[in-house]
Amino acid sequence: MMLPDYFLADVPGGPVLTPQLVTDACITLKQNRTRHLVDRTTAELIELLARVAGDWLEPDNPFRRRALEEGPGVMGFSRETLNAGLDDFFGSVTEESLRALVTQDVGHPHRLERPLATEQDTHEGRRALAVGPELLVHVTGGVLPNPPMTSLMLGLLARSAQFMKCARGTSLVPRLFAHSLREVAPKLAATIEIAEWRGGDEPLEAALLAQANCVTATGRDTTLASLRQRLPVPARWVSYGHRVSVGYVTHEMLSSRMLPEIVQAAARDVAAWDQLGCLSPQAFYVESGGRFPPEHFAEALAGAMEKTERVQPAGPPAPETAAAIAARRRIYELRAANLSHTRLWQSPGSTAWTVVHEEDPDFKPSCGHRFVPVKPVANLTEALKGLDPVRGQVSTVGLGAPGPRETELVTGFARWGVTRICPLGRMQIPPLSWRHDGRPSLGDLLLWCDWESSARW
Amino acid sequence: MNRTEPLADLAGRVKAFIRCTADGVALCEDEFTALALRLFQAQFEQVEPYRRFCLQRGVGPEATTRWQSVPAVPAEGFKEFELTALAPEERVRVFHSSATSTHRPSRHFHGPGSLELYEVSLGAWFERHLLPDAAGETGMRFLALTPDSTAAPHSSLVHMFEAVIPKSAAGPDRRCFAARVNPDGGWRLEAKQALGFLRNAVDAGDPVCLLGPAFSHVHLLEALEAGGEALRLPMGSRLMETGGYKGRSREVSRRELHAWITRRLGIAPEWIVGEYGMSELGSQAYNHVAGQALRDGPPVFRFPPWGRARVISPDTGDEVAPGATGLVQVFDLANVWSVMAVETGDLARRFDDGFELLGRAPATGPRGCSLMPSDLVGKGEGP
Repeated sequence: MMLPDYFLADVPGGPVLTPQLVTDACITLKQNRTRHLVDRTTAELIELLARVAGDWLEPDNPFRRRALEEGPGVMGFSRETLNAGLDDFFGSVTEESLRALVTQDVGHPHRLERPLATEQDTHEGRRALAVGPELLVHVTGGVLPNPPMTSLMLGLLARSAQFMKCARGTSLVPRLFAHSLREVAPKLAATIEIAEWRGGDEPLEAALLAQANCVTATGRDTTLASLRQRLPVPARWVSYGHRVSVGYVTHEMLSSRMLPEIVQAAARDVAAWDQLGCLSPQAFYVESGGRFPPEHFAEALAGAMEKTERVQPAGPPAPETAAAIAARRRIYELRAANLSHTRLWQSPGSTAWTVVHEEDPDFKPSCGHRFVPVKPVANLTEALKGLDPVRGQVSTVGLGAPGPRETELVTGFARWGVTRICPLGRMQIPPLSWRHDGRPSLGDLLLWCDWESSARW
Repeated sequence: MNRTEPLADLAGRVKAFIRCTADGVALCEDEFTALALRLFQAQFEQVEPYRRFCLQRGVGPEATTRWQSVPAVPAEGFKEFELTALAPEERVRVFHSSATSTHRPSRHFHGPGSLELYEVSLGAWFERHLLPDAAGETGMRFLALTPDSTAAPHSSLVHMFEAVIPKSAAGPDRRCFAARVNPDGGWRLEAKQALGFLRNAVDAGDPVCLLGPAFSHVHLLEALEAGGEALRLPMGSRLMETGGYKGRSREVSRRELHAWITRRLGIAPEWIVGEYGMSELGSQAYNHVAGQALRDGPPVFRFPPWGRARVISPDTGDEVAPGATGLVQVFDLANVWSVMAVETGDLARRFDDGFELLGRAPATGPRGCSLMPSDLVGKGEGP
């Protein structure tokens, strides 16, 4: 499939970007927004997005096929991992889920079109209209394609012109997604620009930030701080710093009936995007006191990782990644030989996956790439104590617990600062209406115009 | 080889091996293998955490016939386990890796015998690379940009510097340790003292041998720059730099550092030598011989004949082909009372005669474990 050079990032080798070019692009995007986007209805946009997402689920969709052909080479994931990730993502984008998102964040889909009162508003004698920023700038950090694609969808629902600046080598799938939009709605695609450059290019970024009404940014905390400092005062700032996620399994789940299912779900979470996302589990906290000890969970998880490897292999690691994994394994080997409760399971002859069992509840960042520790704990309190170094940075907890205990655990995690809890196996598949880092992701882009009715005099 | 030789006897044999190979020419493969395997047997028997490590791998001395098959312990292991054959009462010295208050440091224990062997090993290879012209005996002045061993008794680098500076270089104008220890354990360059020492050498026309970690050299150069000063150190002056920056100064590429040294100190690149060493090893590697013409391509580190480096595949543990990258393992005969075979955790590209250092395998060891996730973000940012 030949794609036209439509977005800046389409040009092979990259165009020579100049601040003027960026400024001009932003001005054109804003004009196109006025012409083609502002007056669309929410229903129309939802229908369009759901249709495009549905198309991506078709195995012979040309955009998907191209993503699967080129993606592994540039992103480092295996074709199977990318395939599963795309299925999970586009499977979550339906008319129902889009409507649920809009309704959750603005109260009623029509409130993005005209002033409208909810029940509460009626009581107070006012109506309200939610308005998206004129130009929404996205600065994306990682290689995972679903966050930038979500951003583009949110921007369309907000009726914003969008300029997405991707980190070097990460624009492929977002670009293909934008091309797939362009195929069915060329005028809407004219409100989107996608470019790639190495972060920190101050002249380009100054030109871009000067045009922005709102900036969303993901990436390293230091990158975010630097960007924010350079943002002109009137523009709004929505940032997503780095987060970590963990699994928590209660002792009731460690029975011969439950264990196979629970480790399969855990392995799925570790394998998704090769454990490189903020929502990927970096450790499993497993309660002692069940029919089987947590060590049993670790051993079974290793078996599940090996099975997963056969159907969804890990991407080929870069040399430094492989070296990091090997070096970490070696220290665990030494520990395993000398400490009674440390054990190590690893993919033979490769660095594809590693599971360790260690009696150390303290959280340490994993090196990713399917390297996961299992940490026995007595209870939630002990797990939270171990997680203390990353308090405020834990996004998701993948939970394996029986119904009666869920509420107590969820409340405990929430009060401690966790912003999302889901069943194990779904950590990397948040619903579209997910409150990203605890905040409404569409709602945070919008400004409200309250209209206090004059009917009373 | 059924009976284990006492380690002191093995140390004697290693010393003899060093003496006969220190010119870097006579490579006695058979003797190296014999010594390596005897050390393996003795260390397997006497270093308990190492024995368990080998047993877990299913490797023991009986069936091992090649030095390459001896299991290498991770250098990180020196932090958590006592990898030593010395009983507590035999330990007279311990060297730590550069530690900060938040990290548990490596501990390499030494007794009188191992210290003596350490000095023989480090001295022979240092002289060959820094003093090939025997300049140490003819008026050379030595400036170490580190504290002395009274202030930094647990630094193997400081011990090394004290050991390599010839006794003939005596008195404060011939030898100087120009740094002090901060309360946090880090080192602070005494720039005034160092600059005074260098100016005196210039006035006297005596060449200087500057020794120190890369970050200390940066501090010295910054001090010169701040004063708008450029020294022309006398002909024959040379410089040894080692290690990374560890956040102790701004990071400077090797090329940039060397150009800066030439500009501010008048030492040409042919007189700048890189060293690769760690407290866990008794031997060091160098990437150049002072005063020799620079060779094309990246700098290649070479261990002495009594310390062999291998670059191994992270996947298979086998040595990689020349040109490929992997992890550095060092089989160091000078590690007699600890463990001979050490995997350093550093990433390198293999060359026929050594390795190009590419840096530390990311997110391993102290850095990985102590950094907050925000500092560790690789490609996996965003959800």
